[in-house]
Amino acid sequence: MNTTLDRPQQNTSAASLRGVTKSYKHFRLDNIDLEIEPGTVNGLIGPNGAGKSTIMRIMMGLVTPESGTVSVLGKSISSREASAKQDIGFFSDDMRLYKSESIAFHMQFVRSLFPSWDEGYAQQLLDRFGLIAQQKVKGLSHGQRVKALLLLILARRPKLLILDEPTNGLDPVAKQEVLAELMQIVNDETRTILYSSHNTQDVEQISDTITFIDRGRVIASNNRDEFLDRWRRFKLQAPQNWQAPAIDGLRPESTFGNLRVMTMDRYQTDVEDRLQSSGATLESSEAMTLEEIFIAAVSRGREEKQS
Amino acid sequence: MNTQAIQILFLKDLFLSRWPMFGYLVGGLLSVMVTCLPGESAGFVGFILMITVTIAAGIHLIGALLLGESIDMTRTFIMSLPISLLDYSLAKISVVLVAFLIPWFGMLACLTIITFVVPEAKPGILPFLVLLFLFMLGGFCLQLFTAVVTESVGWTIVVLVLGNVTLNLFLKMLYEHPAISKLNKSEVLSWPPVVLQIIAIEAIVILIALGLTFMFQIRRKDLV
Repeated sequence: MNTTLDRPQQNTSAASLRGVTKSYKHFRLDNIDLEIEPGTVNGLIGPNGAGKSTIMRIMMGLVTPESGTVSVLGKSISSREASAKQDIGFFSDDMRLYKSESIAFHMQFVRSLFPSWDEGYAQQLLDRFGLIAQQKVKGLSHGQRVKALLLLILARRPKLLILDEPTNGLDPVAKQEVLAELMQIVNDETRTILYSSHNTQDVEQISDTITFIDRGRVIASNNRDEFLDRWRRFKLQAPQNWQAPAIDGLRPESTFGNLRVMTMDRYQTDVEDRLQSSGATLESSEAMTLEEIFIAAVSRGREEKQS
Repeated sequence: MNTQAIQILFLKDLFLSRWPMFGYLVGGLLSVMVTCLPGESAGFVGFILMITVTIAAGIHLIGALLLGESIDMTRTFIMSLPISLLDYSLAKISVVLVAFLIPWFGMLACLTIITFVVPEAKPGILPFLVLLFLFMLGGFCLQLFTAVVTESVGWTIVVLVLGNVTLNLFLKMLYEHPAISKLNKSEVLSWPPVVLQIIAIEAIVILIALGLTFMFQIRRKDLV
């Protein structure tokens, strides 16, 4: 997924959002541009209330944006248009099934709407997830409910999976089972996944590209490995009157006496030398975890917005 | 418009509401039977039970099929399927209406048969019953409209209460109207102009309420 402010319209993308805006009483999704390439796994990371769910609901036509265009699998999306949803599997953390009915009832219902329903795969998923078809939804645990929903989505073999916090609240075993199933889907290069979470470890595990979102804005978007390569943290010993050299992307993070901690989002191999030659003593130059990168990017994004 | 999807959604909701629908149909028919028992008080009790069952059926079905989808968060699941807002709206409004009409029509049909079959019954009462049942259908349609527009249990109950108060006034008006009260004890079925005028007004209210319900629903921008 890449920000596409300056990119021309591409009809080959799995999904595209351009200039999408949506306002609520206490929240605004602000001019979102996203491009999702086919056959990729895209992680959408943001704190709670950042706008991840709103973006996904707009992509599903469940929420109508005030401005901007949304296209999914080559079709424009709106609440009046249903055909694009034939090839999209959508999971949301707040999605519920009918409590009084069984998993089998829901399987039959979904099968009646999808000619692509794969009954063999559905039975495999029942076994793999340890679900019993005749079990009523009201008797399912949270993890079983998530797995049942994923079964209903995966068995219809969608081209695009939009998963809003699918691992939220799952125990480690259930989470691993869900992620393992998603990893299997990832092996099929024709299928695209958009996956949101506030847990960076889950997203890092399966994503090719990652977008950070905060307070309704995209603050960074890049290939996962490039994120990890380009971000660095430096610890320096420097006198009180030390001036940091003007290096593009270098920002102070914190100061403890003479110890300065700085982060950088455009790392190049000569940065250490330039810091040393500025009068500071470099104590360490560390690669950052995705979670650290996310926190630093959010902090920078908020500072930029305020300034 | 996807007629197959509408049909599937309609049948799904009809299946989900099968027990309350069946329960209200049975309860309604039993109420009608009570009106046939000997004694004036049995008739009165049966009449009150009939009205109670109809009102309870309306609010229960609106709550279970419409407001419940929002409260139980099942609408996100339904709207993630290849269903447009038009398909969803047509299926939802139709099924709530049909689920209500089954016990409503069952009771009215049973009453109609009784007025002609039971020797003690007076066929002249039929216009009064039609006016009453159409009034309750109108009240149900207004509750449906309120539920769709506000998605609020509270506001729907407010309309239900107002409907019940108005029903009492309506019954009083019918009893006090010379042309209508005279019919209740008549052995001959007749439809005086005043009855036809009230039926026309009730039909217009029902049609407007249903039309507005559908219009508001399909103009909705955010579905969850």
